[in-house]
Amino acid sequence: MTTSTVDVQAPEQAPPPAPAPGRRRRFAVHFAHYKWLYLLLLPGVIYFAVFRYAPMYGVSIAFKDYVPFLGVNASPWVGFQHFQDFFSNPDFGRLLGNTLILAFLNLGIAFPLTIVLALLLNEVRLSILKRTVQTLVYIPHFLSWTIVASLSFLLFALDFGPLFLFINSVLGTDIDFLSDPAWFRPLIVLQEIWKNTGWGTIIFLAALATVDQDQYEAAIIDGAGRFRRVWHITLPGIRSTIIVMLILAIGQMLNTGFEQIYLMTNALNRSVADVFDTYVYFVGITQGAYSYSTAVGLFKSLVGIVLIFGTNWLAKRFNQSGLF
Amino acid sequence: MKIHNTTGGRIFDAANYVFLVLIGVLTLLPFIYVFAGSFATEAEITRRAFFVWPEQFSLGSYEYIFSTPAFIRALVTTVLVTAVGTVVQLILTVTMAYPLAKRNLRGRQLILSLVVFAMVFSGGMIPTFLLIKDLGLLNSYWALILPAAINPFSLIIIKNFFQELPAELEESAKMDGATEIGILWRILLPLSKPVLATFALFYAVGIWNDFMSPLLYLSDNSKWTLQMYLRQVTASSDLLGTGNVDPNYIPPEQGIKFAVIVVATLPILIFYPFLQKHFAKGILIGSVKG
Amino acid sequence: MIRRNLSLAAAVVTATALTLTACSGGEAPAADSSKISVMAPFLEAQPPSADGAVQQKLEELTGKDVSITWTPNASYEDKMNITLASSEIPQVMVVQSKSPGFVKNAEAGAFWDLTDKLDEYPNLKTTFPDVEKNASVNGKVYGVFRARNPIRAAVMFRQDWLDKLGLEAPVTTEDLYKVAKAFTEQDPDGNGQNDTWGITIPKWGALGSNSPYDIIEEWYGAGNRWTEKDGKLIPSFETEEFLEANRFVKKMVDEKLINPDFATFDGTKWNEPFFNGKGGIIVDVDSRVSVLINLFKQANPNDFQNKVGFVGNLKGPDGELHAHPTDGYSGFLAVPKTSVRTEAELKNVLEFLNTMNGKEVATLLNNGIEGVNFTVEDGKAATIKPEMAEGKAVTTDIKSYAQLGTNVTGNNFYPVKQASDYEQEVFDKRVEVMAEDLKSAVYNPAAAFVSPTYVAKGAQLDNIVADARIKYLAGQIDEQGLKDAIKLWKTSGGDKVQEEINKLWQDSK
Repeated sequence: MTTSTVDVQAPEQAPPPAPAPGRRRRFAVHFAHYKWLYLLLLPGVIYFAVFRYAPMYGVSIAFKDYVPFLGVNASPWVGFQHFQDFFSNPDFGRLLGNTLILAFLNLGIAFPLTIVLALLLNEVRLSILKRTVQTLVYIPHFLSWTIVASLSFLLFALDFGPLFLFINSVLGTDIDFLSDPAWFRPLIVLQEIWKNTGWGTIIFLAALATVDQDQYEAAIIDGAGRFRRVWHITLPGIRSTIIVMLILAIGQMLNTGFEQIYLMTNALNRSVADVFDTYVYFVGITQGAYSYSTAVGLFKSLVGIVLIFGTNWLAKRFNQSGLF
Repeated sequence: MKIHNTTGGRIFDAANYVFLVLIGVLTLLPFIYVFAGSFATEAEITRRAFFVWPEQFSLGSYEYIFSTPAFIRALVTTVLVTAVGTVVQLILTVTMAYPLAKRNLRGRQLILSLVVFAMVFSGGMIPTFLLIKDLGLLNSYWALILPAAINPFSLIIIKNFFQELPAELEESAKMDGATEIGILWRILLPLSKPVLATFALFYAVGIWNDFMSPLLYLSDNSKWTLQMYLRQVTASSDLLGTGNVDPNYIPPEQGIKFAVIVVATLPILIFYPFLQKHFAKGILIGSVKG
Repeated sequence: MIRRNLSLAAAVVTATALTLTACSGGEAPAADSSKISVMAPFLEAQPPSADGAVQQKLEELTGKDVSITWTPNASYEDKMNITLASSEIPQVMVVQSKSPGFVKNAEAGAFWDLTDKLDEYPNLKTTFPDVEKNASVNGKVYGVFRARNPIRAAVMFRQDWLDKLGLEAPVTTEDLYKVAKAFTEQDPDGNGQNDTWGITIPKWGALGSNSPYDIIEEWYGAGNRWTEKDGKLIPSFETEEFLEANRFVKKMVDEKLINPDFATFDGTKWNEPFFNGKGGIIVDVDSRVSVLINLFKQANPNDFQNKVGFVGNLKGPDGELHAHPTDGYSGFLAVPKTSVRTEAELKNVLEFLNTMNGKEVATLLNNGIEGVNFTVEDGKAATIKPEMAEGKAVTTDIKSYAQLGTNVTGNNFYPVKQASDYEQEVFDKRVEVMAEDLKSAVYNPAAAFVSPTYVAKGAQLDNIVADARIKYLAGQIDEQGLKDAIKLWKTSGGDKVQEEINKLWQDSK
């Protein structure tokens, strides 16, 4: 392809000044200069327009009393009725509290642990051990929550479960993880850690693979110990990845994952176990209320988008690269 | 490259190794139980709460699930759809991520905002279904690949990765007269192996584990994927106690459940080790600097 | 700049969306009366094949080209809704339950109202009018219901333990307590350890789901979900008998006669404590008896015949037998209006359904093909052994085809012959005991009624009481707490539900 008449430049500099003053002309020139890039962009944009944005009229279901048979257009309009019902529901405060607490626990515990595990794996120099553990550690991700729940019931069973007995012998008291409201959240977080930490390390390991090796050599020559190398080279090296993952995790905060909680909920711990997702599922299934679940989903999405844009802006304030 | 190790470093290494081995075992054990259970008789599974080796070896569960060609067909189908789908999805994502990594591209901010927006908002199951129907994709394997073709999260990470690559690479390539696409293909992609490998894995796993899409979009029984069997066999019995199950239904034996889990999980499980070689530490970055 | 781009983008997107939605909803072709399309769920691991022997025979017997879309049971409700939202709707749809989702669609006009139409067909005129009423939506019959055993509640126990301790099979609830106590305290398995208990109860949620709790409450005379008192219908949990029944269960919980993890115990493992010699009694459906016997048989084919004993419903403290029936049906076969447009087409479909319930097709759906997978011995269907490949295929397929069976005039097919004489004895006894109990069945007077408030929030309301019941049994709240929960049910909307149910009840008289 022939280069344009304008100077070849490095991507970081400003676009070439246009000969004509009009905004549209400037854009046209810009477009022509970068047309291959726009061409590359096209399939993806079409994808988003067709598969992601076209169905968005479905959001209107949240404002209607949707009956599948009638279709979206013919279903009666109810305005903010579902939202009103949702917020005025006496359980709303409890659901919100439970959801937020679990979200913060996951963010505060499971997220850092993923990074720590990735760093530990990175420090292993015995390649066979590293590769083996890497593969093993992501297996639980593939086991469905049904299995995890089954295993939990097995291990923590009152009076019988091996872990129950073990903890009993260590602490001297009975802890019924499965039905005691006080232990529900620790159990959930523990399950989450076991199931998804390994999987979460993959992206960090990929990032760690791109950290410049030369810096390590220089640091060692300067006499830096293990911990200082990690602190000053490794972590900064993956800082942008960490930030991006953090923003995304915060954006997903209200999605506690319905299946896990649904399986572990019972009459005795429901007061702390009920979160938005299980509530919506319950309502959706038992009452065929697509509209209601769409409305709650919409609410969660709104919160999510505010969180994402908010934390992204914060990150930029601190001169980090952010999400976009 | 020998790294001189301090005593503290050695202790740390030892403790680290032990810790990681422990973690490995903890994560492996439950799967071993499932694996062992798939080779055991129903009576033994009922009798023994947890075991890693069946006392009485039985192939009954596997005989049952492989007895009809339908299951094997599902296995082959799933492998093919996953393979093709992963390639398609990865290509779409990378070609979109690369231009978005150029900070001076007009419209970039807008498109990125729309992408992030789409990450959080969606039209819902029924509108998406109607769309697939209107596109004529019902009962086609493309309905399993296209709706989730570009994961906004993956797009953003890959874009960020491209942004982080040193600008000098592109500059020197441009000076040699390379085109944008040429730069992408010959220089950036080889350097992005760890990231590409990661998302190849993510996409592959996404397609492999997806049971909702086949459930909704495939009506032809001969087109089924593995996850549908898995769901069917394991989820039905979980409805017990909700009053929602046909009283005449007798849940499948646990051994069969385990066998289906093994067959539906093992292939994708062993995909990762094959990708691991691409996670090698930045060999190529060093070579460019020279 | 951004704003213009934004509006341009929005315009493009909107245009795309509008075009696409306008494209949906095509014209359905005029129905070809020789073809019938069906949507049915299947619960087995694999669906039947489209060119299997059973399918061919079905088409032969009905004289129609029957195309069945076998849909996996998981998310069947979602699939049903999606099908109704799209324009490719089958002519016969299996509806698994009278869910609020279904009710909404039905009342919006999605399905034909078949009330009074079914009686014109000999095989569709049901011999169980009460069940048909139960399956209706406030009297409107929206489909041909799928009949299920009308009564199934049984108490099964370790016969060998009973024998060892020299006890008799329980007849009353008081007997149940005594046996449970003996099983817990007197070391019935003789291993010298205090590791056995009486009744095993798994985690069980909803009210009125035929849980052991519901069954025991019925035995105590609390009624079946709703009961008549002073000329009005009240929920069963408002009765004194309800409280008494739960005191009874609580007593057993406190004395450790019931497994301590009853609130969390995984239902899929219900057979294990029984089989492993830990919990000696189960209160559940009578078919579980045969499942348990089968487990023992697998473990030891030479000595399995004295392990499992059972009785039907127990007499309550008032000396009366209040037997707990089921709903009698599991969903129905509905006829969507979008695909069956005229009365003539409806007639065609109903004729098809009529044939489906005739002896020949019923036998095909439930027994299989005579000479291929079964033969008739003593009026029963005996599996042909050794099993040939074709026979096996048929036996596997009919597990799914049975989903299409309605049996509204009783079982028009052969009962299945059991594998051994002993098992046949047990099976026959089960049938006998259940038939006897049916005479004392106490039905739910409100089964047919769908109250709008219940549709809107009924399940959440029920949870209040269901959870309180468990909490009370676990000792987290006391009886006052349970009563408070019932009061909460009333004030949160239960009163309105009660009002609506009563009105519907009065109107239906």
